[in-house]
Amino acid sequence: MANYNLNIQKGQAAPAKSSVFNTIKRLLTLMGEERKNLFVALIFIFINSGLNLLAPYLLGQAVDKYVVTHQYQGVIQYSLILLGIFVAALFSGYTQSQMMGRVGQRMLFNLRNTVFSKLQDLPIDFFNQNKAGDLISRINNDTDKINQFFSQSLVQFMSSIFGMIGAAVFLLSINLKLGLATLAPALLIWVFTKGFSPLVKKLNTANMKSTGGLSAEIQESLNNFKVIVAFNRRDYFRRKFDEANTANYRSAIRAGIANNIFMPVYSLVANIGQLVVLGFGIYLIAAGEFSIGLLISFIAYVTQFYNPLRQIAALWANFQVALAGWDRISQILVLENNLQQQAATQTEKKSALISFIDVTFAYVPGKNILNKVSFDLERGKTYAFVGPTGGGKTTTASLIARLYDPTSGTVLLNGADIRTISDSQRTAKIGFILQEPVLFTGNLRDNILYGNQCFSNLNDEELMRELNEVGLDGLIERFENGFDTPINASGDNISLGQRQIIAFIRAVIRRPDLLILDEATANIDTVTEQLLDDILRKLPRSTTRIIIAHRLNTIENADEIFFVNSGTVTRAGSLSDAVSLLLNDKRES
Amino acid sequence: MNKKEDSLPSDKRPKKPNIFSVLSPYKPMIFLLILFALLSNGVNLIIPQIISHAIDDFSLGEFSYRKLIIEFLAASIVIFLFTILQSIIQTYTSEKVARDLRTQLSAKISRQSFSFIQQANPNKLLTNLTSDIDSIKMFVSMGVVSLASSVFVVIAASILLITIDWKLALTILTIIPIISGAFAIVFRKLQPLFKRSREVIDRLNKVINESILGAALIRVLNAHTMEYNKFLDVNTEARNLGISILRFFATLIPIVVFVGNMASLIILALGGHYVIQGRMSLGDFAAFSSYLTLLIFPIMVIGFISNFIAQASVAYGRISEVMNAPETADTGTIDNELKGNMEFKNVNVQFGNKPVLKNISLQIQAHTLTAIIGPTAAGKTQLLYLLTGLLKPTTGDIFFDDTELSLFNKERFQHQIGFVFQDSVIFNLSLRENIAFNETVTDELMNKAIETAELQDFIGSLPDGLETIVSERGNSLSGGQKQRIMLARALALNPKILLLDDFTARVDNQTEKKILENIRQNYPDLTLLSVTQKIASVQHYNQIVVMEEGEILAVGTHEYLLENSTEYVQIFNSQRSTNEIETTED
Repeated sequence: MANYNLNIQKGQAAPAKSSVFNTIKRLLTLMGEERKNLFVALIFIFINSGLNLLAPYLLGQAVDKYVVTHQYQGVIQYSLILLGIFVAALFSGYTQSQMMGRVGQRMLFNLRNTVFSKLQDLPIDFFNQNKAGDLISRINNDTDKINQFFSQSLVQFMSSIFGMIGAAVFLLSINLKLGLATLAPALLIWVFTKGFSPLVKKLNTANMKSTGGLSAEIQESLNNFKVIVAFNRRDYFRRKFDEANTANYRSAIRAGIANNIFMPVYSLVANIGQLVVLGFGIYLIAAGEFSIGLLISFIAYVTQFYNPLRQIAALWANFQVALAGWDRISQILVLENNLQQQAATQTEKKSALISFIDVTFAYVPGKNILNKVSFDLERGKTYAFVGPTGGGKTTTASLIARLYDPTSGTVLLNGADIRTISDSQRTAKIGFILQEPVLFTGNLRDNILYGNQCFSNLNDEELMRELNEVGLDGLIERFENGFDTPINASGDNISLGQRQIIAFIRAVIRRPDLLILDEATANIDTVTEQLLDDILRKLPRSTTRIIIAHRLNTIENADEIFFVNSGTVTRAGSLSDAVSLLLNDKRES
Repeated sequence: MNKKEDSLPSDKRPKKPNIFSVLSPYKPMIFLLILFALLSNGVNLIIPQIISHAIDDFSLGEFSYRKLIIEFLAASIVIFLFTILQSIIQTYTSEKVARDLRTQLSAKISRQSFSFIQQANPNKLLTNLTSDIDSIKMFVSMGVVSLASSVFVVIAASILLITIDWKLALTILTIIPIISGAFAIVFRKLQPLFKRSREVIDRLNKVINESILGAALIRVLNAHTMEYNKFLDVNTEARNLGISILRFFATLIPIVVFVGNMASLIILALGGHYVIQGRMSLGDFAAFSSYLTLLIFPIMVIGFISNFIAQASVAYGRISEVMNAPETADTGTIDNELKGNMEFKNVNVQFGNKPVLKNISLQIQAHTLTAIIGPTAAGKTQLLYLLTGLLKPTTGDIFFDDTELSLFNKERFQHQIGFVFQDSVIFNLSLRENIAFNETVTDELMNKAIETAELQDFIGSLPDGLETIVSERGNSLSGGQKQRIMLARALALNPKILLLDDFTARVDNQTEKKILENIRQNYPDLTLLSVTQKIASVQHYNQIVVMEEGEILAVGTHEYLLENSTEYVQIFNSQRSTNEIETTED
């Protein structure tokens, strides 16, 4: 079995290794068409920061040229120019935030879709190994962290960087010496940031992991609430929750403090920068190389340089959070379905619908559920699989439906290796009614037609006619409001027996070549069961049925009975043969 | 839930939740937080002062490097220390608020009834406990300090501006009411959008959750596209909402910047005029400019903060709904040991308008065996739910040993009833914790339960034995094994009453027989109530109850029912052929 557990991955170090740039590159590929929009938005950010930089420069010029020399005419002139710039900045600012925000939202949209569709691609094993709450947290929370960075911080980040670069250029061009002296402290920041960021990211990753754990805990407890109530273990829920909550609290504090450390450091350096300008500037003025007017505008530029730097301090933490979120999402995105369709090899000369050839299967290495099992199932016959609980019946059925691939050996469908058949072809042929009926929130009609493209466009009457053809129409009447009966996924408004009836209708109306019923009628009363039995018998002659059951009356009409236990599948001669096997068998498993 | 709130008398209705009220238990921390923020910001205001003095001193020829460096560095280091302290307290406060809110909310949820959880919808509760509380945390960590210090800076900068030149200052300060007005208008419009965007998250949770729980079916039916489309719909809505919210901000922020810029224009035109007239010094002019920057920035910050406040208010409103939901207090005091007599008197249960149980009256004697049989949706499970208090009768009463159910002390009461649910509920814990799902369970009781449920061989075959971690969706357990673990969990309580809901459905005949025999031997005093489909295994029971569509059709022994109940005979006939086989094989 492949390792799909997101929280225990061997390759844990792998995503951490990837550099910031690689991450950004991969994020950019995810954006697809958004790149063009992002580019346009960047132009506006550029224009906007240019305008915002130009303004104080002109302001300084106005002061130096006209205020100091007492020429009010020029002040008015400059004021009008500035007004024009501010109006332009208003529009570029609007366009910039609008575009970037949209890019962010669409990016979040794409990202969530990508993760969700990846989830749909992965095999059932992935879901056995991961908790629903943790996955929800990844799709909702972690993607949102990336979104927060993109839609809220990236604009500021970009305009801050543009602003900083612009201010730096101005500073250097006004006075190279003073400019260099001003920028020098920024080096400290660079060193500090580079050294400290990995730790920040690590702490944030840990925090998100504990958030996922918290979410998983809530999910499990809420879904199992009836047991908690019936066994009066409300304290259990509280305790488990408190543990997860406390763990989350601790990791959040660590991450929070780390995220908040950038700001004071950046501010300190910014202040030192201002001091340098002032001191050095005054020195230069004394030496006759600089003017007071220039120094005032220079100081304004220094704020223009160090204010964005302060902002970047806050944004940088957001960036680290986004990177951590991305890592958690990539853990899902890098997983590959190990049940890919394989290239067709030559078909075996087998007339059987299903053949197992030396099939061995283990969920956990070394603990074989099936051991070199071989058997054939012929078209149009009814087979019963019986055996003690935990004997391997469901596993056998799951291999036929290719929910898993055998550890070794081959399963053939129509003589071809089942791994070479496409998902859509296979699922059209095989109907599998699972042991635990699955419902989706909606109404009865939605649930019956779940995953059924052929009939989804039929109106209620046409659908009734279809149901009538296979004798399923009578079952609909058992539901209060027919097709419109509301259904809830948690299913407590509807009995388990009724849920099984829905699952039965859903599978049978598709008229598959092979219908597997895995204890599909276990909770249905025997009278209704006879009805379902009649329906099964009236299915087209070519339909093959596999019935897994404990109740013997459900299997008495089987053409052949297989006894599944301790890794073997043996053919029982007759019903009484099977019964004696069941009664006398020594349970090895 | 709205219904419930409406039914409250109006004076008792909780007042509209105010987000700032979450802060009240943390007053000392908030005080310290604001203090440090104000201190660092206050010291921050000195810096332009130092700069302006240095320039003025220089013009006057009184400049001293020593003085400048000492003043400047001292101020910077003090700011640094205060901001560090502030950020540490800020992190602690916000995380504490979040943790405590989660604890309160989960404690509240844990005291609620099962039906409350179903109604409140677990997906929404998940958002409440995660995203909603996160927004409140965000508000505390980003909002409180920034709000306090921004207001402070705005006021301080305004005062400084006024002291320099009150006419110019007042002209510039007109931007404050303009900007606040813009904020007020925009946020009133945003509030409902925020609310809807929260609800969309609930729905995203739901789709993801259902796609995970239904993973096997989706793969069997190759319905990936369908799930994807479902997700796409909700996600599209989330995106569109996000874009609508964004449009407001994209408009608001540039306007605020523009208004701020206009203020600097006023300084140039008007202040320049004053300087030219000689009414203002150049140093003052420079200071005026830097104070304006000081003024504009916090105003924009308040803008961003109000975003957090608005989101947190919506989130807090959603949480308050759960927090203020009425609780069904456990008023029962009787903690007598149960004998096992149970009685339903004219019990009716309705889900909405749909009657689920109709006028049920039934007596069950202590130490007897009772079976309930009938078609699907007959109300059998609901009958068991009533006996455990998972469900409350709409009308009618339930008695245990002639005492009304609600009079019992819940904890004591529930320890005496073992309930084996129809569907398996396995916690992601070790087998030991799953079976001894109650701290009062001793090893002895647990082992007895394990043997009775015929689990000893299975557990013995596991390398980690009882310490093996199992999970609901894990593939380590078969349906029958899960069912037997559930039985062991119920028996480990050493209950007086055992309720089995279709226990036999997933356990093979052979094992079932052994288990029932074990129960008889190991728990001889037990009163057993078993919902089942199989007549063969309950033929010898003291009474069998035939139910259909929420009604009791007949009650009696097997023989009596064969004579008197056509429905029973029909069920019996449907099982006869196999009965014969089984009896012959026996």
